Amino acid sequence: MYVLTHEGKKYLDSGLPEKRLVELLNTPMKISDVKKQLDDFNIGMTWAKKNKWIEIKEGKLCRTHLPKEIPEEAGLKLVAERKEPDENIANILLTRRLIDVERETISKKAEKFVGKEINTLTPELIKTGIWKKVKIKPYNVEAPVKKVYFGKRHPYNQFLSDVRQKLVEMGFKEMAGPLIELEFWNFDALYQAQGHPARDWTQTYSLKHPQIGDLPSQKIVSQVKATHENGWKTGSTGWGYKWDPKKAARLMPRAHDTAISPRYISGHSGKIEIPGKYFSLVRCFRPDVIDATHGVEFNQLGGIVIDESLTFRSLLGLLKMFVYETTGIEKVKFLSDYYPFTEPSVQVSAKHPKFGWLELAGAGIFRPELTEPLGVTEPVIAWGFGIDRLAMLKLGIKDIRHVFSRDIEWLRRQPCQQ
Amino acid sequence: MPTIEVSHADLNNLVGRKLSLKQLEEDMLYTKGEIDGVDGDILKIDIKDTNRPDLWSAEGVAREIRFRYKPTHSDYKTKKSGVVVHVDPKLKDIRPYTACAVVRGLNITENALLQSIQLQEKVAGTFGKNRKEIAIGIYDLHKIKSPIRYTVTSPTGMKFAPLEFSKELTPKQILDQHPKGKEFGHLLNGMSYYPVFIDDAKEILSMPPIINSNHTGKVTEETHDVFIECSGFNLELLKTALNVIVVALADRGGRIETVDVVYDSKKLTMPDLTPKRFTVSPKYINRLSGLNLKNEEIKKLLERSGYKVLNNTMDVLYPAYRQDIMHQADIAEDVMITYGFNKIKPEMASLVTRGSMTSIETFSKKATDIMIGTGLQEVMSYILTNRDNLFTRMNMKTELVAEIENPMSINWSVFRNSLLPGLMEFLSQNTHREFPQKIFEIGDVVELHPKTETRTNDVRRLAVALSDTAFGYQTATEMLDFMMSSLGIAYKLVRTEHPSMIPGRAAKVVVKNKEIGLIGEIHAQVLNNWKLELPVAAFEIDLTSIC
Repeated sequence: MYVLTHEGKKYLDSGLPEKRLVELLNTPMKISDVKKQLDDFNIGMTWAKKNKWIEIKEGKLCRTHLPKEIPEEAGLKLVAERKEPDENIANILLTRRLIDVERETISKKAEKFVGKEINTLTPELIKTGIWKKVKIKPYNVEAPVKKVYFGKRHPYNQFLSDVRQKLVEMGFKEMAGPLIELEFWNFDALYQAQGHPARDWTQTYSLKHPQIGDLPSQKIVSQVKATHENGWKTGSTGWGYKWDPKKAARLMPRAHDTAISPRYISGHSGKIEIPGKYFSLVRCFRPDVIDATHGVEFNQLGGIVIDESLTFRSLLGLLKMFVYETTGIEKVKFLSDYYPFTEPSVQVSAKHPKFGWLELAGAGIFRPELTEPLGVTEPVIAWGFGIDRLAMLKLGIKDIRHVFSRDIEWLRRQPCQQ
Repeated sequence: MPTIEVSHADLNNLVGRKLSLKQLEEDMLYTKGEIDGVDGDILKIDIKDTNRPDLWSAEGVAREIRFRYKPTHSDYKTKKSGVVVHVDPKLKDIRPYTACAVVRGLNITENALLQSIQLQEKVAGTFGKNRKEIAIGIYDLHKIKSPIRYTVTSPTGMKFAPLEFSKELTPKQILDQHPKGKEFGHLLNGMSYYPVFIDDAKEILSMPPIINSNHTGKVTEETHDVFIECSGFNLELLKTALNVIVVALADRGGRIETVDVVYDSKKLTMPDLTPKRFTVSPKYINRLSGLNLKNEEIKKLLERSGYKVLNNTMDVLYPAYRQDIMHQADIAEDVMITYGFNKIKPEMASLVTRGSMTSIETFSKKATDIMIGTGLQEVMSYILTNRDNLFTRMNMKTELVAEIENPMSINWSVFRNSLLPGLMEFLSQNTHREFPQKIFEIGDVVELHPKTETRTNDVRRLAVALSDTAFGYQTATEMLDFMMSSLGIAYKLVRTEHPSMIPGRAAKVVVKNKEIGLIGEIHAQVLNNWKLELPVAAFEIDLTSIC
């Protein structure tokens, strides 16, 4: 059942604006004159035009048709007599907000529920206030919750993201380098001699394709060559062999994140600032037999700190801070260690309350045979974190292969951090 | 990193002190070593220094610890043995060099024998790249008649009985039949001559780098005098290996004697155990360490590290078995190790620097947030994959991609050039799990690029795969559109055909007239190839180019 709105009542009394408009146009009139004589001019114009009762000729409004009976008006009359108009007309009148669905109907729908227990709080109950007269059925609010999976990060990537954020907060700037790298940056620039066991401290992949890349500037290359061969101006004896640029130009999958540092120290991949703190968090590749501690690929977190004031003592301080920032552990010990490119080298272990001593990071001061041919005389601390080990610790994973988990069920259920 | 096994009691004998396990654990820091396992008297020790083969035995570890308790400079004296080795120039392209020595007066106990075998294995294996660079042979001197010739034989030439074999075999038969021949035969593959040591009685001593003869090359507890040879390609490495072996035997009471090795007309007398000289500056040591040590303290620390200090300007002598000292940094580190890393007070350098991520990481983070917002699960894949996954299963012709020469497994032998195959593989691994499965990955792919310095470009991509009965092209476009409009990037979809996509249901994603990706419904053949039973709508776009 419908009722007239305020506007509907007005038009029932005074006539619809479009009807009043055509009745006024016994002769063509200027629009401005019509406007003066007719309130609701715009509404009248819209509907008269739609019904094709008028047209504009030589700037004047003319009538083309004078309707005898208007269905909308008949509809309004019916509603006023509490009768149902035809559905099409009712819809037009509803759209024009001349009639409305009788409030009583909504109330009636809702009234059925008075005094009853209901499941769903409907818009009718809310609008009519009848919600006050019904009982809303209580749920077993402690029932088991249905599992629904929404969007979520991979827990390991979430961890890497957090680490990256942490380093930025500590004032470290991120460095980047290519996945496929020149042996020059992976080895030679790090003072690892060609054909010497010190270059093979870790197993590496070689490439079938592509095989050869471009060496950096002649200046960098010749200084690195001289340092390998005879120590150049670094005060070193050098390795004492004939350095081969062809070997250095070979490409290989990057075997460690440290390959990135000489790119920056030399200015080849970006200008370095002094003092400067830099990090990289990147994927590396080594031909390891895959087991609980070796995956197909691994991520490495490492970087450099450079300043005239740095010493081995500041290196130890840096490691202590890293351990604290990443694990919250304060008790650490330092162990002698070996990297072909740092001297001295050190490893830091932290005493975990549950797991005991954990090896967490390795570091050292870059050998002068590395930094000086690349154009830097200030001490450069190099550091690297066992990031996958830390991830396993944080995510409660025992097998490194699960770090890169491909099980959607596990990904959906696993908390992002423990 | 070599791992060695030593007897705790034997180690204590060699040090000359009764060291508890706890004390030993601490002292091991002087050797860059770590006790990794204890089985009764047997200790498993990891020695981290891959450039100090002199530390890879009980004798070496004991020597380094002994210095700290009793500062002494190792001075190994040598006498002439009279043994001569002639080296054949024909070995030039085969295995050109050898370094030789004699050690007499050995009283070979079980421990000594085990350590000697272990040290040979580690030096030839780890330092000598599995005998390629260094092969070591030790022989009973009394069964050998000098002069010895290091020469060549043909694969079908002179027969001899290899170690633990009584039957005489030709060199080629040894490669085919003897366990060591099978293990190391590849080092002689394709050569028309094989290297051999032959004595004056025409007795074959060995065929390096494969095997000794059963007659001369057997050292037992009854052996007292030995002849030692190291063969390979780099004479300096061989001399180091020889020095490491002979000083270990000398630490057991052996007397080292020299051998004359004759190359063409040049005669080299080996081993050369004359200590080597280096100059260190106390100022440098203090500058590097951050310690403020007096000259007298530095002198004491040097002496406790096995150096002989010659004068106050800190000219030092160090033992000839060490080949790792190139710069005074190497000596400074020894001083710090002897001082004790844990006695050095850490100091926090306060450097004022500004932190930042690379722009592509910042951009990737934004893209990740948007994808998570659409309800997608992030997944991670390896960058290494294989051609079957990248091309065959995706219904594509094989393309040239970056490829590894020595893969551990064919499954991980090429670098991915797109992310979608990894997502398809992921779906195929999870067909038994609950649907819908809506996943994405942001990661690097490697594109070949002949003009760049590494002939490749790393490109950051985003890929999305949506799998459920009702998911289709529209589902994917809605996701892409939300992504692009959230990043504020205008794009167009342009009809295309792609072998991985259903014909008529694929489009290129175009930004500023540049194609940056592909979107569509995965081809039913591809679904079959991955054994997937529900449709998949997907897209992959290049983030690097819109970053």
